[in-house]
Amino acid sequence: MSPNTMSCPLQSGNADVLLSYCAHMLDEERTELIEQHVAMCAECFALAEEQKTVWAALDGWESEPISAGFDNALFARIAAAERSSAWEQWTAPVRQWLAGDIGWKPALSVGVACLTLVVGIYLQNPARPVAATPTVEIAAQELEQAERALEDMEMLRQLEPTADEEKRL
Amino acid sequence: MAVATIERDAELMLRVREGDIESFAVLLEKYRGPVVHFLHRMILNQAVAEELAQEVFLRVYRSRANYEPTAKFTTWLFRIASHLALNHIRDGRHERNQASLDEEIGEGMERQVASRGPSVEQTLVRESKFVEIRRAIQNLPAKQRAAVLMHKYEEMEYSQIAAVLECSESAVKSLLFRAYEGLRAKLAHLAG
Repeated sequence: MSPNTMSCPLQSGNADVLLSYCAHMLDEERTELIEQHVAMCAECFALAEEQKTVWAALDGWESEPISAGFDNALFARIAAAERSSAWEQWTAPVRQWLAGDIGWKPALSVGVACLTLVVGIYLQNPARPVAATPTVEIAAQELEQAERALEDMEMLRQLEPTADEEKRL
Repeated sequence: MAVATIERDAELMLRVREGDIESFAVLLEKYRGPVVHFLHRMILNQAVAEELAQEVFLRVYRSRANYEPTAKFTTWLFRIASHLALNHIRDGRHERNQASLDEEIGEGMERQVASRGPSVEQTLVRESKFVEIRRAIQNLPAKQRAAVLMHKYEEMEYSQIAAVLECSESAVKSLLFRAYEGLRAKLAHLAG
């Protein structure tokens, strides 16, 4: 496209091309085209000149130096945020409940569920005096053994011949 | 911005996601200046700008787990910075925090006059121009200001500014055209 055939950016609603030209953001080919057009178009020339002035003025706005402690302050904030984040994660449900974000109904449901669980575990494994159990069992076994021994002795005694029977024999 | 740079930034951020704090330090070193200067020009108060910049980097660090390199790192970074600045301006906090321009120029003049150097007149003209530029920028609507600062100082293309400000490219062109129109009206006399 030659500058003669190129439509005026202002007339065609493409003023952004002029802005990009002044900001040196166009490629070489387009820069050359706009340059040639601007040289022929009074309106675009005026805008480009004013825009270049603005651009140069903004160039003069130097930035201020950054504080020496910027990084340290940032890393301190990161560390604090990480700590509070971990704590918040652990205590979030309790805080939500205390703040009223979680109503009584869910808390009640959770409580009932916990209670049911505890009762279920208890019924499955009812608490017994763990230390006493083996002693009681051993004692019961000993008693039974003693009783059997006595019964056996009694049987033997009945089977033994009496003194009269021995004389007869 | 070069493609290699984009890939490098995304790669560094992905390493940060994996828990590499050194990569975060590299990104901080690279973008500390641009973010602080952008915020300073938005808010016109260096102390507040630094505080907000720290908030930007803090948010970047805390969002590391969810980072996906779907957009340019700088687009994401400046989106956070713009949101913070625009919220700050919207809440009117900047009016309380903003350093007085007259105060600043007054102090500057006193310093220069006191030194009685040979360039007092030149310095006064320069200071006066500087105040005019700041006033002109300050008088722009916040979104136009953000667009101009990203266009001028960060050399962002329209598409990237649109992505940062979460609007269409044509909206950015319109924002910039109106903003520069206002600036031309106020600053064109500074020529020469």
